[in-house]
Amino acid sequence: MLIFAISDKGGTGRSVTSTNIVYRHALQGNDVCYLDFDFGSPTAGAIFSVSSVARGTKTGGLHEYLRGDCAEPRRIDIWSESDREGLRIKPPGAGRLVLLPGTEGGGELATVDEEMISRCVQLFSRLEEEFDLCMVDVSAGRSFTAEMVLKATVRLPAIPFRWLVFHRWTRQHIIAADGLVTGADGLLDVGARVGHDADMLRDRIRFVRTAVLEPDAAELVGLRDEQRAWLSACDNDLRELARRHKVGRTAMLGKIPLDPVLQWREQLISDEDVLASKIANAETTAAFDDLAKKIVDDSAWEGL
Amino acid sequence: MLVMGEVHTGLLQNSGEIPESSARDVLRLLAGETVRVSRRPIAYAVSPDRLTGVDCRLPAASQSRVRGVGTVVSRSSITGGRVVQGSSYAHVQRSGSDRRLAWSHYLARPGVIEVFGKARAEDLADGFTEDPPADCLDLGAISARFMDTVQASPLLDRRAPFKIARARLRWVARTGEPAIRLTLHSDQVRTLRIVHEGEFTPAVADLCEDLALHDWLLTALLVIIERARVGGRPGPEAAAKLAPAVDHLLHLWMPAARVDDALAPFWESLDRRPGFTRQWQSLVDRVRDQVAVNTLALLSATADAGRRRQ
Ligand SMILES: Nc1ncnc2c1ncn2[C@@H]1O[C@H](COP(=O)(O)OP(=O)(O)OP(=O)(O)O)[C@@H](O)[C@H]1O
Ligand SMILES: [Mg+2]
Repeated sequence: MLIFAISDKGGTGRSVTSTNIVYRHALQGNDVCYLDFDFGSPTAGAIFSVSSVARGTKTGGLHEYLRGDCAEPRRIDIWSESDREGLRIKPPGAGRLVLLPGTEGGGELATVDEEMISRCVQLFSRLEEEFDLCMVDVSAGRSFTAEMVLKATVRLPAIPFRWLVFHRWTRQHIIAADGLVTGADGLLDVGARVGHDADMLRDRIRFVRTAVLEPDAAELVGLRDEQRAWLSACDNDLRELARRHKVGRTAMLGKIPLDPVLQWREQLISDEDVLASKIANAETTAAFDDLAKKIVDDSAWEGL
Repeated sequence: MLVMGEVHTGLLQNSGEIPESSARDVLRLLAGETVRVSRRPIAYAVSPDRLTGVDCRLPAASQSRVRGVGTVVSRSSITGGRVVQGSSYAHVQRSGSDRRLAWSHYLARPGVIEVFGKARAEDLADGFTEDPPADCLDLGAISARFMDTVQASPLLDRRAPFKIARARLRWVARTGEPAIRLTLHSDQVRTLRIVHEGEFTPAVADLCEDLALHDWLLTALLVIIERARVGGRPGPEAAAKLAPAVDHLLHLWMPAARVDDALAPFWESLDRRPGFTRQWQSLVDRVRDQVAVNTLALLSATADAGRRRQ
């Protein structure tokens, strides 16, 4: 299964959330890999705490591979190469967790040619032989990268794929997330142009809300009643807005609460962060866990 | 001087094993020519040999610049309707000339790469079996593509029964006092050094492919057993995780099935140490025991339920 992570805007939490989802999916016993296709700023290495590739790799990055400069992209086994001690032991029952980093200083794709598409097809089909799940960080907004993976998946009809659209819980983000899917040159538009069936593609897209502050969250306990009432009213408006933009409950796969750790640092949240050092919230890991199950749970992906 | 090759082995991307006729079709698509098939002791289908022209640096442990020009021989095969291999090799020889000749010269010597200057066989062998640098001859990339062509066949449904990595076996063969050494580098990379008597023949490449096949089978079975976490989860769950091994792998172990009699002693020596078949057999026993124990438990549970109902 291929999962494409996209967002309309930058800085939504796409990378942090998608890396935490694959991490949880690996802990659940699956072999997973993470492809950093955010060629403009390949920072997945930093989130996995592999400092040598914190801003991408110097050799064998995905950008180089797609340009045809190396036969096979470099792979980093997180369980053995992460700098974080807590990640360096593979927990019993966990699957493989492999990062394919981007190229340091690679830059956004300036075009997509036929050769790149076929290398992309080759990469996806090879990885699919060995991994239960491949998560691809497609970067923000309309890009050649998104176009390339849409074209690649048309040529791999037997390989299941799904899209996750990440957005924050604000007016602008809700409208933008809808636009990225249904707007001009959005996913459905480009998808249909390159040969996808628009209805089928629609069914393979779900939204994920990031850094959500629920009106009843513990963080808000000290607020005045007036403030709480105002937040609650805002939340209701957003719900209504989301429903009108078809980004509402039915099209949403899950939401991740605002977490103090993630607000300060882009990282994986381990059980130890919750249970031992108690710096992260249990609700956050529970939400990642839940999403890690739902991305492969067909009942969460039935037609809308 | 020496022969270098690389074999990639993986699971055919289809839900079940494919019959001989499909194997023929899958491999024929590749080349449009005759596919060779043998049935005993195990179904084996192989595409015709194909040539890839190369003009590039050869890997040398000393980092010295060695240029080679010529062709690489490659083929794809399917064993037991279930396992795919992509295999390439080239015979490295000293060039009689000190500059590149017309392509007709190289095409007349299929599977030969001619090197210029003073290259040493040992240096090339070491360079090739270590990780070859990026800008050098990459037989692995060629073999991987020969595997891809099979895996991408529209005749396959791509619903393989389990996920498993491809394995690569890089080998070098030379003439001399017979010896064989297999080294495991990582989960997926192995190197094999063979010294054989007499001239190189394609039978040596067959031997390497057969070893690569069995090494992959052994690795795949180990992976499946590890994933099943026997003892770490309820018996029926573990048994269910082991089922694909029983259904798809156990019957494929057929050591030296296609190995020339003259080369059989190499297989036998590896079978003594590290002891391929011994390890395989003990894993098979473990899988069978686990599945049997679980079946017994199920049977007695059903019998108990039946008695209670009476
Ligand atoms: N659940 C959360 N709670 C608090 N902060 C969060 C949460 N999720 C993400 N963040 C923070 O938001 C910021 C942006 O996240 P991230 O880098 O993942 O976004 P992105 O969408 O990948 O951005 P870009 O488009 O620049 O790659 C980071 O500082 C991250 O730690
Ligand atoms: Mg990012």
